[in-house]
Amino acid sequence: MKISKEARHIARSLYRDSLTDGRLDESKVRTIASGLTAAKPRELIAILKTYERLVRLEIERNTARVESAVALDGAMQQQITAQLQQIYRRPIAAEFGVNPELIGGVRVRVGSDVWDGSVAHRLRELGAAL
Amino acid sequence: MANILQEIEQQIAGAKRGVAKQNVGVVREIGDGVAKIEGLTDAMLNEMIDFGNDIYGIALNLEETEVGAIILGEYTHIKEGMECRTTGRLLSVPVGMGLLGRVVNSIGMPLDGKGPVKSDTLYPVEKIAPGIIKRRSVSQPVQTGIMAVDAMIPIGRGQRELIIGDRSTGKTTIGIDTIINQARMNRAAEQAGDKSYRPLYCIYVAIGQKQSNIVRVTNVLEEHGAMPYTIVLAASAADTATNQYLAPFAGAAMGEWFMDNGMDALIIFDDLSKHAVAYRQVSLVLRRPSGREAYPGDVFYLHSRLLERAARLSEKAGNGSLTALPIIETQLGDVSAYIPTNVISITDGQIYLETDLFYQGIRPAISVGLSVSRVGSAAQVKAMKQVAGRIKGDLAQFRELAAFAQFGSDLDAKTQAQLERGKRIVEVFKQPQYNPVPIEVQVGLLWAVQNGFFDDVAVDKLKDCQAQMSDYLTSRKPELMTKILKEKALSDALVAELKAAVTEFKQTYR
Repeated sequence: MKISKEARHIARSLYRDSLTDGRLDESKVRTIASGLTAAKPRELIAILKTYERLVRLEIERNTARVESAVALDGAMQQQITAQLQQIYRRPIAAEFGVNPELIGGVRVRVGSDVWDGSVAHRLRELGAAL
Repeated sequence: MANILQEIEQQIAGAKRGVAKQNVGVVREIGDGVAKIEGLTDAMLNEMIDFGNDIYGIALNLEETEVGAIILGEYTHIKEGMECRTTGRLLSVPVGMGLLGRVVNSIGMPLDGKGPVKSDTLYPVEKIAPGIIKRRSVSQPVQTGIMAVDAMIPIGRGQRELIIGDRSTGKTTIGIDTIINQARMNRAAEQAGDKSYRPLYCIYVAIGQKQSNIVRVTNVLEEHGAMPYTIVLAASAADTATNQYLAPFAGAAMGEWFMDNGMDALIIFDDLSKHAVAYRQVSLVLRRPSGREAYPGDVFYLHSRLLERAARLSEKAGNGSLTALPIIETQLGDVSAYIPTNVISITDGQIYLETDLFYQGIRPAISVGLSVSRVGSAAQVKAMKQVAGRIKGDLAQFRELAAFAQFGSDLDAKTQAQLERGKRIVEVFKQPQYNPVPIEVQVGLLWAVQNGFFDDVAVDKLKDCQAQMSDYLTSRKPELMTKILKEKALSDALVAELKAAVTEFKQTYR
């Protein structure tokens, strides 16, 4: 879908309005989204799509998706979350999941950064090197 | 066996190391060899992007939330939603002597079925041209073996000389002739054990050409024994626009290796019109704003940064050189189109080929009035300067008189003599393709023309007389030819010897 420059510009300014102290404000996002739908401006869908994308990327930037081959215990989860916050120097929400394909180890993704300490990844690297 | 085990152990130790951070993105759009990727927040401009399965791309557009990348190779295997990662590397190609005699593609992979390319050095495809401190002015000649070029539009090592003309006017032939002549001279110097001669290695970059054409060129080079000194880089019309866009830059990287290692290289870009078209396609698919003739705004910079990489380096910087002969195809002789004017303004002169001259039988069809070499005369061999200094003027005068003479029949003796001499000069400069003439023979022939030794030969017999004189000079007077080549200037004694030789030939010529 082709999104015009104007729609992108509006979406970007709405996104800026959704921030409080540099962080996404959930209530503001809700108000803006419902207000936008009610006002029905031109190119509503394009604006909403761009806005949704910006919000999604910001959420991904502040969310760590932690995958492990087996479920992690509470202490381990806390340790990982604390370390991530230390690295990024901002609050990071962590989502934990189990992925048996990793064989062993942990894979963490924050935004577009990935720390892959899984056995599957190491085997892949070894295979490529050999 | 123990070595293999050690290697595997090293690999395992490497794999055990701590977890490294990777920067990944997700393919959101893919089409026409261009991918739009969400993420990749750490991507650098021109960085290689790894799509897995040995498929790589180059990040060209860094936007707020997206990266636009061009794909090298087969892009149909890339799917929407696929993950890709940055590599921290810029696109590099293998360089070195191992590439001589090979036909490779834009990323240096062999196309000739002669096995892998032997090279342990990689050079980045995009590189900043040598700065002003490292350079020196052009002072050594590139002998093309084409009389009209060597006499009137001399090219120096490190120069950028444009070859421009309509389709089928002999643009590629000038490049091929030059390569063949370099091979001839390199081989002669090798056989004679001449250490003072600096061999000139050649790189022929074919962009957007028919594969049959590329094969034809390669066969010609092989037939004339030029391949051992030549690299052919082919990005044919069947290749993606990405590969066509990268080809001249990859060729320039291969040439720069010779330059950086104190050697001389010559690169022929055949042709930059098709290169601009490939770049226009890539830019439009990347949704970059288009300008005149739908080319992107940076099409001038595209060619200027490429051609700036041709240089002559100072003694301190290794004394190497890279000479560039870009080729531009015009439409109906229109040199004022966008790309031709750009490249004319970037280069240090142009060889302009005319369709009319070509069909009149004047081949190479060089238009003397419109062709110029801005820096090459400083590098021209002195002997050639002595015999060819006035020729360009004489030819211009001849054309003017010839046009004037059409209107009147009564001409004075002087004008008639000038016209007759002009006709003979034009005839002497006609030369069959793939038949370069050694510089010493060129000097002998041009001296003979300038001193009226061809005046009594009928114009239609002149080519035959010229061929016989060339044979005579090379086979019967090799010492004289060697002297001209060594001394590089015509002293009084040499002129006397040349006069005696030419007079002797004229007595025997029937």
